[in-house]
Amino acid sequence: MSQINENEIHDRLKRLSQVEPAKGATDRAMHRIRDTLMSEKAIPKGGTGFQPVRARPGWPCHVLSLKTAFQQGLPQILMKLAAAAVLMISAGFIGGRLSAPEPLDVQELRAVLESSLKSPLEPAIRQEMLAEIENRLQLALADYSDTLKQELGQQVRRDMETYAEQTLTTAGNLIDQRLMGLARMLEAARIKERQHVAAAFDYMGSRFGDSLATLAARRDNQWGAERVSPAPDISEN
Amino acid sequence: MRSRQKELLELLDKSGADLYALLTRLTLREDVAEELMQELFIKLNNSRGIGKVANWDAYARRSAINLAFDWRRTQKKKVLALGQVAEPASNDNSPLGKLIHSEEMAETLDAIGRLKKASREVLVMRYLQQESYDNIAEQLGKTSHQVRALCSRAIRHLRDVLDSNEHKSSKKEIHNVANQ
Repeated sequence: MSQINENEIHDRLKRLSQVEPAKGATDRAMHRIRDTLMSEKAIPKGGTGFQPVRARPGWPCHVLSLKTAFQQGLPQILMKLAAAAVLMISAGFIGGRLSAPEPLDVQELRAVLESSLKSPLEPAIRQEMLAEIENRLQLALADYSDTLKQELGQQVRRDMETYAEQTLTTAGNLIDQRLMGLARMLEAARIKERQHVAAAFDYMGSRFGDSLATLAARRDNQWGAERVSPAPDISEN
Repeated sequence: MRSRQKELLELLDKSGADLYALLTRLTLREDVAEELMQELFIKLNNSRGIGKVANWDAYARRSAINLAFDWRRTQKKKVLALGQVAEPASNDNSPLGKLIHSEEMAETLDAIGRLKKASREVLVMRYLQQESYDNIAEQLGKTSHQVRALCSRAIRHLRDVLDSNEHKSSKKEIHNVANQ
C-alpha cells in the first residue's frame, strides 16, 4: 500500500522548486565563472594545462583540479621540451651507431669461441660423463644383482624341492621293488627248503620203512627163536 | 576572443543564474552549486564534441542535472566532516521546519537520483524548473505528449522509490526499538 501520495510528492517538488540561492551567491558564482572564462581567452585551444593560482571572491585560492588540467592537455612548453628531448635522444642514438666499430663476424667469433672452449672442456666433460655412467651402471647393477640373487635363490629352492620329491618317489619305488624281490626269493627258498625236507622225509621214510621192516623181521625172527629157548632175564636188559 | 568562449559568456549571461539556481536546488548547498557551476563551464569549454550541440542552453541544463546527481551519489558514499556540513538553502526560517524540509528535500532528491536518466531530467525540468511541456519537448527532441507521459511515469516511479525508502526506514526504527 502506498504511504506517500502524489500530492505530497508534488508538494515536496514544489518546495524544491522554490529553493533559491541568495542574490549575492549567484553574483559571486557568475563573477567567478566569468573570470575563469576570460582568463581562458589567453589560452590557446587545447589549453595550457594548470591554471595559475589566483585570488577569487569567496575563495582564498583557486587551482584547477589535476583531472581538469589533464583534460585540457599538456602545456605547450612541456610539449616543446618533450620534442627536444626526443630529437636529442635520436641524434645521440644515430651518432652512436655511426661512430661504433664495425660489427664482429658472428660466425667467426662463434668458431673461435667454440674451439677455445672445446679443447679444455672436452676431456673434463668426457671424464665426468664416464664417471657418471659408471656410477649409474654400478647403481643399476647393484639393484639388479640383489634382484637376481633373490630370483636365483627362489629358483634353486624350487628345483631342490622338485628334485627331492622325485628322489623320494623313485627311492620308494625301488625299495618296493627290492622288497618284492626279496619276498619272492624268500618264498622260493622256503619252497625249496620244504621240497628238500620233503625229499629227506621221503628218503628217510623209505630208509626207515625198510630198516623197520628188516628190524621187525629180525625181531620177529628173534622172538621166534626165544620162544623156542628159555626166556632170558629181563632185568638185565 | 574564441567563439567557444564567446558562446559560453553569452550562455552565462543568459542562463547562468538559472543554472546556478538549478544546481542549488539539486544540491541544496550554495557552495557546492558554485563549484559545480565552475566545473560545468570548464567542461563545456574543454569538451571536444561540443561543436555538434545545437542548443547550448538545453545541453548545459542537462549537464548540470547530471553533475548535480553525480555529486549527490558521491556524497552518499563519503562521510562528511563536521566542518564541511553547510547550512542547507531553504526559505523556511523556523529551525525545526528547516530541518524537516531539508530532510524531505534531500530524500526526494536522492529518490530522483535513483530514477532513470530520462525520467530524472524530465522531472527536474518540469517540477523543479517549472518549464512547460513544450519547452522540455523541444530540449529533449520529443513531442509534448511523450514528455507528459514521461512525467507521469517518473512521478509514479518516484512514489515507488519513496515508498520503499519509507518502508525500509520504518523497519529500521522498529528494529532499533526492539533492540532497546
